[in-house]
Amino acid sequence: MRGPRNLEVWKMGVVNYLDALKLQEKLVSDRKICKIPDTLLSLQHPPTYTLGKRRTDHNLLIPVSELKQMGAELHYTQRGGDITFHGPRQAILYPVISLREIGLGARNYVEKLELTMIELASLYGVKACAGQKGETGVWVGDRKIGAIGVRISYGVTSHGLAFNIDPDLKYFKHIVPCGIGDKEVTSLRRETGAVLPAEEVIHEQLISCFARLFGYSSITWEESPLILPDNEEIDNTHPRVRNQPRRLLDSFASISANLNKLSRAIQDPKKAVEASLRKAPPSASNPTQNK
Amino acid sequence: MALRMWASSTANALKISCASKAHLSPAFSLSRCFSTVLDGLKYANSHEWVKHEGSVATIGITDHAQDHLGEVVFVDLPEPGGSVSQGKGFGAVESVKATSDVNSPISGEVVEVNSKLTEAPGLINSSPYEDGWIIKVKPSSPSELESLMGPKEYTKFCEEEDASH
Repeated sequence: MRGPRNLEVWKMGVVNYLDALKLQEKLVSDRKICKIPDTLLSLQHPPTYTLGKRRTDHNLLIPVSELKQMGAELHYTQRGGDITFHGPRQAILYPVISLREIGLGARNYVEKLELTMIELASLYGVKACAGQKGETGVWVGDRKIGAIGVRISYGVTSHGLAFNIDPDLKYFKHIVPCGIGDKEVTSLRRETGAVLPAEEVIHEQLISCFARLFGYSSITWEESPLILPDNEEIDNTHPRVRNQPRRLLDSFASISANLNKLSRAIQDPKKAVEASLRKAPPSASNPTQNK
Repeated sequence: MALRMWASSTANALKISCASKAHLSPAFSLSRCFSTVLDGLKYANSHEWVKHEGSVATIGITDHAQDHLGEVVFVDLPEPGGSVSQGKGFGAVESVKATSDVNSPISGEVVEVNSKLTEAPGLINSSPYEDGWIIKVKPSSPSELESLMGPKEYTKFCEEEDASH
């Protein structure tokens, strides 16, 4: 049987799409040669439209110039899937993990990504489910709450999932989201009656759902705000040296227990918020504060 | 085609094996996931197969690979005339919103690509060893085939990989 596995999670805040892409390319190369462990990037993007390998630009309904005027970017990628939108208040996870080491194929991997979002939604009383055949993603009725687009190279993953916490859904009007014409896009805010806690809490819950579904026994948290000027190469020095964030090793049992507590507390939304906030690791800050 | 089908069903009735490609026969069934591994082919650890016949080698992905991918909806094919290197990607398949690279088990020059896959990518799922072939290559170093797995080895490899799940 496999030994205990650790997941290294990078909490990155808002990251430009191309910076995140360059970082993933580096991480994928490193993961292929086992230089790094399974790594998960948790982040958000500024308003960005992306296309997959099939380059389905017919699903972009406005000219690129108009897109730029509204302050959004457009990028072509090598991931699977159709056109989509990323923006603030949408939680993104980019797992860079070796599927070969855990004997998963693309289909099972994507199913687990769907389950990750389904579980998160259920913490807030929202009943979501995986799409029908050909409609990969996570749905509440016929409204899409989570999207998936993945690339697998030498058995190592990149790109990943995007879960709508409370993004500005108007941006989706300018595309045929995921190439599916007659269905709406929705968000956790729209679907739940519960009071939503701070976004950072929801991001951490999403990460915990992922870690549990993929069988990790522990998580190492890295808080590394990656800020790169456009023309700079990714620094070969690991961010933990540059930014000296704290590392928190959470055993899986404690995260799992907290998720269960939240899920039971969902009947009382106020209690749910308090439970979540107590569980959340404090963000990187001036060490003298704790004295 | 009709004559072949008649011959085949008659042969079945008479319990005679008359597969049109007689040298391809199931060597092993993977008991865990019922994937087929064929005799007469060589296999890479990234789940591609290669059939070397004279000066041309045909390459595709295995039954195990197509099963783990899900329904293939798009195949990214290289251009004929291009070159491939052992272990390096030459194209990709998309299934369930995942683009998976396809790697070449050997080095050489691409002499033909299966253009049927553009209209019918699902051939990779329904016929991974025959109609779902992906490229044909003129091998530049035939000795590379020695480094690949035979059917028994590949079967064991798949079982071990699936067991780590």
